[in-house]
Amino acid sequence: MSASTALLPEYIVVVAVLVTMIAAMIRRPGGTVASWVALIGILGALWATIDLWTMHIHPAVFFNQSLTVDNYSLFVNVLVLIAASSTLLLGWTGEREHEEFPILVLIAALGMMSLGMVGNLIALFLGIEVLSLPLYVLSASHRTVLGGEAGLKYLLLGAFSSGILLFGLALVYGATGTMNFVDFASSVNVHSPLLAAGLMLTLVGLLFKLGIVPFHMWVPDVYEGSPMPVTNFMAFGTKVGAAVILLRLLAYGFYMSPQDWGPALGYLALLTMIVGNLLALPQNDLKRLFGYSGIGHAGFLLIGVAVHSVVGAKAMLFYLLPYGLAVIGAFAILTMMGTDKETVTISDLAGMARQKPWAAALFIVFMFSFAGIPLTGGFVGKLYLLQAALFAHQPGLAIGLVLGTFLGLGAYLRPLQAMFRTRQGESNMAGWNVNWSHVVVLVVAVVGTVGLGVYPTPVVHWVSQSANFFWLH
Amino acid sequence: MIYTNWVVALAGIIFAIGAIGVMFRRNPLIMFMASEMMWNAAALAFIAFARQYHDMNGQVMAFLIIATAASEVGIGLAIIVSVYHKRHRLDVDEISRLKG
Repeated sequence: MSASTALLPEYIVVVAVLVTMIAAMIRRPGGTVASWVALIGILGALWATIDLWTMHIHPAVFFNQSLTVDNYSLFVNVLVLIAASSTLLLGWTGEREHEEFPILVLIAALGMMSLGMVGNLIALFLGIEVLSLPLYVLSASHRTVLGGEAGLKYLLLGAFSSGILLFGLALVYGATGTMNFVDFASSVNVHSPLLAAGLMLTLVGLLFKLGIVPFHMWVPDVYEGSPMPVTNFMAFGTKVGAAVILLRLLAYGFYMSPQDWGPALGYLALLTMIVGNLLALPQNDLKRLFGYSGIGHAGFLLIGVAVHSVVGAKAMLFYLLPYGLAVIGAFAILTMMGTDKETVTISDLAGMARQKPWAAALFIVFMFSFAGIPLTGGFVGKLYLLQAALFAHQPGLAIGLVLGTFLGLGAYLRPLQAMFRTRQGESNMAGWNVNWSHVVVLVVAVVGTVGLGVYPTPVVHWVSQSANFFWLH
Repeated sequence: MIYTNWVVALAGIIFAIGAIGVMFRRNPLIMFMASEMMWNAAALAFIAFARQYHDMNGQVMAFLIIATAASEVGIGLAIIVSVYHKRHRLDVDEISRLKG
């Protein structure tokens, strides 16, 4: 298969970036031409991805093994394109977002898509940077004090973590003499201290991006200060990108020595699940709460990597979908109610159950999926992760997962309880801004969340097809 | 004769200076500069290893690091200037409306 066929989704996104730039230049103030072009580009890339999937392709490598197109990368494409389209739709109205918004979203999506197919160190570094650079701009795009502060923090810590990652990559290259993941394991000195140091620094850099305790300090601040659609993108898309590259790097390059990195990642996953969900408990700002809950979920995802088995890879890939759908649904509701404010606090939710019963019901569904209540996708995802931990004979991880889930349940019940409180004083539900684009995101999110909880079979089938890469070292 | 180990040791020292700079300086400009130093240390290590293995990949990586660092500087300085416009002082300890 030629590169132009297999990489068609990425090429469509590249073309969409260029056309969106032209559309952004000619648009009238307040117009949505650029957003439409970007959305059509994303839907085209989604169509190309599904078309490739139905062709049942064999894994194909391109550009001197730097890109691998297989079912894994196609599944990642679908996740990233859902994240990008929800971000575009939540930032649709165009009043608060500037004209560069759809362009930067598309470029960041391109970086995330490339992270799913990375096969060597050069492509890894470029994918991480193509993901990060547009997000620095996006997180600072509201010209407020908080927005600038969020952008500055993200930039400084992002550059710092990229530096650590790069030096780790340099040491790995020095120890093995090759850039390709698949050749690391066959290099002569698998147990050299240089390789161990390089792998450690590389993992620290990637865990920074994923937001794992103790490298999580930036997450809540950046989430709180960024515009709502951008926070949605970071919570879903960045987690997808960082988690899938971590899985691919370790499963391709370091499958011979899981004893070197598996236990370390296991302990970090345990710490992250507990600390992330514990710190989510006292939060009053909902964006901060989702920031800490995102840290907790990153810990859950890390279980799938740490157990180093195909069951773990499947569980991690599956968990990304219900987590992401709950994120986009919850942020759609926050966008609808808080368009005139920077952020939404728990007390703003008071009286919601009485005045906006539909929105309240949907919010309950998303919170239940975060918490892992049965009949939502989050429950099925947590069940698979629990299964993966037990299959790998890691009862500590399983106990940590259950404990983290209970702590998270407490954190998610607080906003739900606030919705049923009656509000003193005047109603705050007058400022609701319901656009058709918000409704589309909400419908997709709720159908996906409930559908994954009630009938997960087809998605489980796709996930196990994607995780087949695990055997193809 | 310049041994690879010496160059890599130099890169390690530059990397450590950069990391210490990011952690202990409080001016965003200096912190940003220090993290660029970490990037350049990595580029130096890549070049040293590429020379050792007679492999072009490491040199390609060094060029890509330079290009990416340049674009990162463009974005970073813009963000730092826009923050400076709002508060006219640069100190990360004062930029703390978001409590972490």
